[in-house]
Amino acid sequence: MTPYLFFQGLVLAGLIVSGILVVTFKDLLAAAIASGAFSLLLALEFYLLQAPDVAIAEAGIGAGLTTAIFIIAIRGTKRYEEEE
Amino acid sequence: MRTALFCVILLVLAGGLLLMATDLSFGHPLRSDMDDYFIRHGQYQTGVNNIVTSIVFDFRGFDTLGEATVLFTAVLGVGLMFRKLHSGEEYEND
Amino acid sequence: MKMTKIVRTTADAFYPFCLVFGLYVVTHGHLTPGGGFQGGAVMATGTALLIVSRSYREITGRLRQTMLKLCEAFGLMLFLLAGLQSLANARPFLGNWLTQTGGFVGSVVSYGPNPGSLDTGGLVPLLNVGVGLEVFGGLTLIILCMLSGIKEDRP
Repeated sequence: MTPYLFFQGLVLAGLIVSGILVVTFKDLLAAAIASGAFSLLLALEFYLLQAPDVAIAEAGIGAGLTTAIFIIAIRGTKRYEEEE
Repeated sequence: MRTALFCVILLVLAGGLLLMATDLSFGHPLRSDMDDYFIRHGQYQTGVNNIVTSIVFDFRGFDTLGEATVLFTAVLGVGLMFRKLHSGEEYEND
Repeated sequence: MKMTKIVRTTADAFYPFCLVFGLYVVTHGHLTPGGGFQGGAVMATGTALLIVSRSYREITGRLRQTMLKLCEAFGLMLFLLAGLQSLANARPFLGNWLTQTGGFVGSVVSYGPNPGSLDTGGLVPLLNVGVGLEVFGGLTLIILCMLSGIKEDRP
């Protein structure tokens, strides 16, 4: 197994872990940050697949602006998810 | 129970699709006439070193104009939604 | 929810670097990966840092909605006028009539893989700047409008 494939597998495993964390967190701010980490890892994966244009767009839109919009929405509402 | 069964069927279907996708060779399209033309003549015709930018802004410039218009319209919609709230007025429901 | 001093200081420290990197991506759009849309998104991320860490009253002293609207409209108008300018020079709409003519942005590019220079590309750098301005103004305006909808308990 080459180091390239090993690193790519590591990034994909991180993607799955952060995707599960987004759903399981009860603290919505932590979930928003986990979603930002998901987007950042996705940008890294795009870069590894030799698409730097898409990587820059994903890092700007996904990791930056979407997280900012989520944080502003949490500021306007409540931070913790209610127990059902 | 039915939800679990549905999930299992969905997983099997997705796995089958992924297995079929692994047979495709990555980075080798079936018809590459257009790509070869852009790669061979793009830098010569547009004078741009970045082939992706030469396609987005030169060969397909009209598409980029449409994309910019879509973004403009989206911002217009958001601005219309929040138009009253910053001038000191309250919500109508309050 | 009020942001702490750590968040504000970090946002203030990172804000200019994000802006400069976005400007680099926009102006070198015809040489390096990226372009108007990506660079505008990076610049908007820089201002989003500033917006998230403050309340609406504090942010209106540094960022005005009128400025951003002007920025966005000016970018789109630059794109349209550059396209119409080609019509006046007997080329199709958005035709690249400035490239490799020896003018300000029309240096002849050498064929094959090379680092390139900034004054090539003809109409493409101008369109990059237009789209970059438009995306920066638009995305920042979305976040600023959303922030203006929040009713803060404490000023």
